[in-house]
Amino acid sequence: MRIIKRAYLYVTRKKGKSILLFFILLIMATFVLTGLSTQKASQEAQKNLREALGGEFYVSVELSESNPYFRVVDDGEGALDLYTELPVTQDMINAIMEISGIEKYDASAQTLVSTNLTIFPGNVPLKGELNNKVYARTVAGTENNSFFQSGIMELAEGKHITGNESNAAVISRDMADQNNLQIGDSISLQADEEAEVKIIGIYEIRKPDPAFTSVVTYEKLENQIFIDTSALQSLFGDMPVGFYEAAFSVYDPAQLDSIMAEVKGLSAIDWRAFKVAADNQTYLDAAAPLQKLQALVSSIIWVIVLVSAVILSLILTMWGRSRIHETGVFLSLGIGKMRIIGQYLAEVLLIAVIAFGCSYFTSSAVAGRIADGLLQQGIPANEEQPDDGIDIVVKEGYGDNIEVSIKDDSALSDMPSGQDTAPEVEVSIDGAEPSTEQISVTIDFYNMLQLYLIGIIVIILSVGISSLSVMRLKPREILSKMS
Amino acid sequence: MAVLEMKGICYAYEKGRPILSNVTTEFETGKMYAVLGPSGSGKTTMLSLIGGLDIPQKGEILFDGENISQCGLACHRRSHVSLIFQSYNLIDYMTPMENVALTAKKDVLSLLLRLGLTAEEAKRNVMKLSGGQQQRVAIARALASDTPVILADEPTGNLDEDTAGKIMGILKESAHGLNKCVIVVTHSNELAAQADVVLSLKRGSLHTV
Repeated sequence: MRIIKRAYLYVTRKKGKSILLFFILLIMATFVLTGLSTQKASQEAQKNLREALGGEFYVSVELSESNPYFRVVDDGEGALDLYTELPVTQDMINAIMEISGIEKYDASAQTLVSTNLTIFPGNVPLKGELNNKVYARTVAGTENNSFFQSGIMELAEGKHITGNESNAAVISRDMADQNNLQIGDSISLQADEEAEVKIIGIYEIRKPDPAFTSVVTYEKLENQIFIDTSALQSLFGDMPVGFYEAAFSVYDPAQLDSIMAEVKGLSAIDWRAFKVAADNQTYLDAAAPLQKLQALVSSIIWVIVLVSAVILSLILTMWGRSRIHETGVFLSLGIGKMRIIGQYLAEVLLIAVIAFGCSYFTSSAVAGRIADGLLQQGIPANEEQPDDGIDIVVKEGYGDNIEVSIKDDSALSDMPSGQDTAPEVEVSIDGAEPSTEQISVTIDFYNMLQLYLIGIIVIILSVGISSLSVMRLKPREILSKMS
Repeated sequence: MAVLEMKGICYAYEKGRPILSNVTTEFETGKMYAVLGPSGSGKTTMLSLIGGLDIPQKGEILFDGENISQCGLACHRRSHVSLIFQSYNLIDYMTPMENVALTAKKDVLSLLLRLGLTAEEAKRNVMKLSGGQQQRVAIARALASDTPVILADEPTGNLDEDTAGKIMGILKESAHGLNKCVIVVTHSNELAAQADVVLSLKRGSLHTV
């Protein structure tokens, strides 16, 4: 008689034991499956957070003696002029952008310039010439500039500066109207030298901010003139021009370190003059509760698996003692020990296949609630952290779904001085709002596969351990125990 | 020709107290052997050694002239010998047919019917049969395996006189009609008298009576 047939006979004839074992395995499988699905949901949530919040790194000029291009010049009147002969150039930026995983970049430098235009006076008075100056903001591109990214400004006419233009400028609608300017007209700017720049775009101020109502003339939003690097070069003649710093956004903050390592490996850049720094604190802060949850769930899964193996081993050992007679009979009939263990294993597996299958339904019923409970242990509900700019709110009442809402005002740090409002980046995990990303604690085929794999390993171990005490005996010893 | 041989077999549970001492004998097919001896004389131990349930400390057991350890003890138990026990040793969650099918190489039902069970009894839970019926199932299981040697340890110990006589008749018929070598351990002189050869085990030595 084959192993499977004997196992089937045992399972179907010993109904009490089979039902008991079924429920034990069902409970174990439900816990394991709940853990696995919660872990997966947590991983998905982290992935979505990474994609939503992103990460940035900065390439900036090294302002120290270690930079051979760094210069300190005393102007003879007690002021020190600090500058570098090798700033961050557009070529460097282009080389860095070749690296995969980088989404976009932003670089800007602001210079006070004189202009032939009629400008808007500020509310805060300044002495002398400064009242007639405006900021020429050199950008690698206006589209990714924080003013435009944040929605404070929006291109209304013409096109953005992309880094491929020559002596181009983007000015405000107010300034254009006040000076009867339009796309294609040229304006004059003066720093060390005078330069003519051509207006290629006109922006409008979409979100007038109270922070910009009481400012000096050159900080007024209407007075901001965006120019490209060639225009800046024209303003300073032979002096090396570029950016003090360029910010690069990556798609996945988890890859930030590897991307930065790749950037540092670029031989075209003289790294004595620059430094690279990461900024993924927003992601780290937001992901911390989810990482805690994942760590907690991983630990719980291990504990459940170990406890399951121990409980199952104890139960099977207990039952195995009552099967010494049967084992002895099988041995006396010439059935090998491995085939006997095989039968015992097949019995548990037959029940496990059904119990594991049923655990899909039981786990589906409890996974959401358990995950929600675990998450709340990791994140105190409605916790506010105004100091670091991160608000984490756990919302309840969405059935099996977990919702984590994160409001990120870290963009404030990139805003011009005095600005105290910023756009909100809201990431919702499993929330009810249609505009947000959603992840459910659902059980999929992969989870079931994991459960079966873990379950089979636990069962093999348990059956092996429980069989040791009997199987190490000689057939005669077993038969002696029988009698 | 001897199908089974014991050559210089020694076995002791404790040092200095041999239970089998240099036992040498031969068993042939077509005969029923009875091994007599008081309790503790080593009858069951001898049967265990022949049956490949244990290993002698000295000497060798040959099947068809070959040491049984060469084939392996499990192989020996599966292919060469069948065991019948006093307590029947049936699998309690199986029917008589399923018990016999554990070793069956023959038509199970006809074998059980030949040994006196009805078709209905053959499909009933084995624990719901009488002692005599259970022993018939055990014998059927031994015969079904088609091994040349049948070893029976006190096969009638739990049975009444009438049933015991019938069981001994079946075993004798198996030896003579099916050309089996049947070795029965018993302490009943009356049952032993039905055997073709009676051996007596005393103080570790085996003698023909």
